[in-house]
Amino acid sequence: MTEVLAAPGPVGAPPDRDVLLEVRSLRTYFKVLDGIVPAVDDISFSLKRGQTLGIVGESGSGKSVTALTIMRLLDIPPASIGDGSEVWFDGREILSMPLDEMRKIRGNDAAMIFQEPLTSLNPVFTIGDQIAEQVELHLKIKKRAAMDRAIESLQLVGIPSPERRVKQYPHEMSGGMRQRVMIAMALSCEPKLLIADEPTTALDVTIQAQILELLKSIQQRTGSALLLITHDLGVVAEMVDNVIVMYTGQIVEQGTVHEVLLEPRDPYTMGLLESIPSVEKRGGRLSAIKGVVPSPFNLPPACRFEPRCPYAWDRCRTVPPDLNRVGSGGHLARCHLHTSEGAGRLPDALQRHRTALNLGRTLPTGGH
Amino acid sequence: MTKYVIRRLLQAIPVVIGITIVTYALMLAAPGGPAQKFANNPRMTPAAKEKFLKAWGLREPIPVQYGRWMGLLNPDEDGIAAFLGPSGWPNFLPTGISGADNGILHGDFGYSIDSGEPVGSRIARAALPTVILAGFALFFWLLIAILMGVFAAIKRYSFFDQAATVFAYVGFAMPTFWLGLMLIFLFGVNLKWLPVSGMTETRLSPPFGSDAYWTYFGTTPLTALQDIGKHLILPVVTLVVVNIAGDSRFVRASMLETLGQDYVRTAKAKGLPNRVVYFRHALRNALLPVVTNIGLEIPFLFTGAIVTESIFSWPGIGKLTIDGIRNFDYTILMGVLMITSTIVVMANLLADIAYAFVDPRIKY
Repeated sequence: MTEVLAAPGPVGAPPDRDVLLEVRSLRTYFKVLDGIVPAVDDISFSLKRGQTLGIVGESGSGKSVTALTIMRLLDIPPASIGDGSEVWFDGREILSMPLDEMRKIRGNDAAMIFQEPLTSLNPVFTIGDQIAEQVELHLKIKKRAAMDRAIESLQLVGIPSPERRVKQYPHEMSGGMRQRVMIAMALSCEPKLLIADEPTTALDVTIQAQILELLKSIQQRTGSALLLITHDLGVVAEMVDNVIVMYTGQIVEQGTVHEVLLEPRDPYTMGLLESIPSVEKRGGRLSAIKGVVPSPFNLPPACRFEPRCPYAWDRCRTVPPDLNRVGSGGHLARCHLHTSEGAGRLPDALQRHRTALNLGRTLPTGGH
Repeated sequence: MTKYVIRRLLQAIPVVIGITIVTYALMLAAPGGPAQKFANNPRMTPAAKEKFLKAWGLREPIPVQYGRWMGLLNPDEDGIAAFLGPSGWPNFLPTGISGADNGILHGDFGYSIDSGEPVGSRIARAALPTVILAGFALFFWLLIAILMGVFAAIKRYSFFDQAATVFAYVGFAMPTFWLGLMLIFLFGVNLKWLPVSGMTETRLSPPFGSDAYWTYFGTTPLTALQDIGKHLILPVVTLVVVNIAGDSRFVRASMLETLGQDYVRTAKAKGLPNRVVYFRHALRNALLPVVTNIGLEIPFLFTGAIVTESIFSWPGIGKLTIDGIRNFDYTILMGVLMITSTIVVMANLLADIAYAFVDPRIKY
C-alpha cells in the first residue's frame, strides 16, 4: 500500500495510469489585507484508483484549501496558485486546463461533498431538480431520464421512498438526510474521485457513523477513489488506506493508516494522538499540545512546530526540516529526529510518546 | 394559503379604518382649511365664507363631518336618525340595502372643491397617465437595477462595479427636480429632440383622457402612441436614473451575500456553467429580499411621482396631488390619500403572498 504515496513523477509528465490523482508541489496563497498567506505550502501526494486517502489537520492547516484547489473552486483572486504547482487527474493536468474543460470534470469524474449539509443545497429548488440538473449536464440525457437517475441515486444512499423525496425541498429534510442527498448528488454521475470535506462534522454522532458507513460501502461498490478530509482521527482510522497529516499548510507526516496512527513519527502527530481522551484512563487532565497554531504572518523561521514541540532542540530553530523517510516504505515525517543529527534523540522521544499514550492502547476507534 | 389571505384581508380592515382617521385628523390639523382658497378673493365676504362653509357641511361637529365623509351618517338627517339610510337600514351598509350613496364606504369621495368634479372620476382620469409613466419607469428601473446589481456583484471590484457604484451614488445624490430640469434644458430646449412637458402634443391632439382624445386615438393610433412615447422619454429617464441607485445597491449586496453561500459553491462543484450558477442558483435566492422592496415600490405605480410629474406637467396622480395642495382642494387630497394608502396596504399583502411563491420555505 505504501507505494501509493510514492514520490511524485517528473515535472510536466503524467503519472502512472493507475494513479488517479497526483498533486505535485502544490502552493495556494491568499491575498488578504495584511499581505499574502500561504494556505497550502508545497504539498505533494498521489491517490490510486479506488483507494482512500485521508487528510487530517486542525482548522486552518490547509486541508480544505487543498481540496478546493484540486476542484479549482477557489476564487482567483483573492487566491493564487504558485508556479510549478501541478495537479494530475486521470492523466491530465487540471490546474492549467481551461475552466470550461474543468467544468466537464467537476461533478462528473470528480465530485465533492461539503461540510455543511444544511447550507450546501439550494433552498429554492427541489432536491430532484438539483441532482437531475447535474446528471442532465454531464450525461447529456433528457430531464425525465435524469430524474429517474436522481431517484436511483437517492435509493443508493438509502433514502426511503425516493420518488417522493425528489419532489421535496432541502428544508423539508434533516441534516443527515441532506448529507445523504449531497452524497447522492456527488455519486449521480459515477465519479472516479470523490472528495469529502469533513462530511460528518456538522452531524450528530449517530448520523456520523451512518454516513461514514454509507461512504465506505458506496466506495466499495462503485470503486471510486475517496479523498477524505477530516480533523477526526477516529474517522481516519476507520475509513482510509493512507493518511496525510497537515500543519500550517505543510504535510508533516504521511504513511499508511497503521503507520501514522500506531507508529507516529512526527511530534505533531504524536501530540494529536496523545490528546485523544482514553476510555481506559479515568480521571486526570486531558493532555493537549501546548501553545497555539502560529499565525500565518508570523511563522517560526525553521520548523513550524518547534515552539510547541516537546522534543525540539537548537537545530529545529535554524534549519527547516524536510519530509524524511521513516522506516522502509513510504512513511514520511517532517522532523529532524529522523536525520542523522537527531538519531540520538529519537529513542527518548518515542519512549516519552509511548508513556504519554498510556502504553498498550490500540488504534483509536470511533470519533463516534 | 386561502385562510392566510382571508385573515390578512380582515386584518387590513382596521388598518384602513385607522388610515381614514389619521388622514382626516391630518387634514384638520393642516393650516388653512377649504375656504382658504378664497382668502385673497375680494368678493369673499365673511358672510359668503360662512355660506360656503355651511354649504360644504364644515360647520358640523368634526365627528359628524367624518361620519358623513366615511358614509356612516346620512347627511340628510340629524341626530340619531342620521345613522339610518334612506331605506331605514344603517347608513353604512351597501347602497342596495341602505339606499345611501354618500361617503367613501359607498365609493363616493365627494366633489372637488376646486372644479366641482366628482373626486372619483377626477382621480380615475389621472390614474391612467400615472400608470403609464410609473409602469414604464418601474419596469426599466427594476430591470436595469437588477442587471446592474447582479453584474456588479459577479464582477466585484471590477471597472464595471466601480462605475456602477459611482453612478449609483451620483444618481442617489442628484435631486429629481434638478435632473428633470437639466434633461429638459438639454434635450428639450437646446437640442429640441424631445418635448419639454405634457403627455401629448396639445396642438395636434385633444387633451389626454377626454372623449375627443379617444376618438383621435382611434383614428390615428400609431401617431398617438408615438406622441405619448416621445413625451414619456424624459420623465421616464429621470425616474429611472434617480431610482436605480438604491435598488441596484440593494441587489448587489443581496447578490454578493448569495454568491458567498455554500450552495453556490455546490453548484460550481457540480460543473454547472457560470451562467447557470449565477442566474439560476444565485439570482433566484438573491431576489428573495428584493421582492419586499418591489412590493413597497408597486404603490408608486398609482401614487405617482409628485416631483417628476410636476416638472414635466404629466397629468397624473402626482400632479393632481400637488395641484390639490396648491388649491386647498381638500376633497381631492383626501381621496388621493385614501386610495393610495389602501393600495400600499394591498401591495404589502401581495408582496407577502408573492413570498410564498418564490420561497418554498415560506408556508402560510
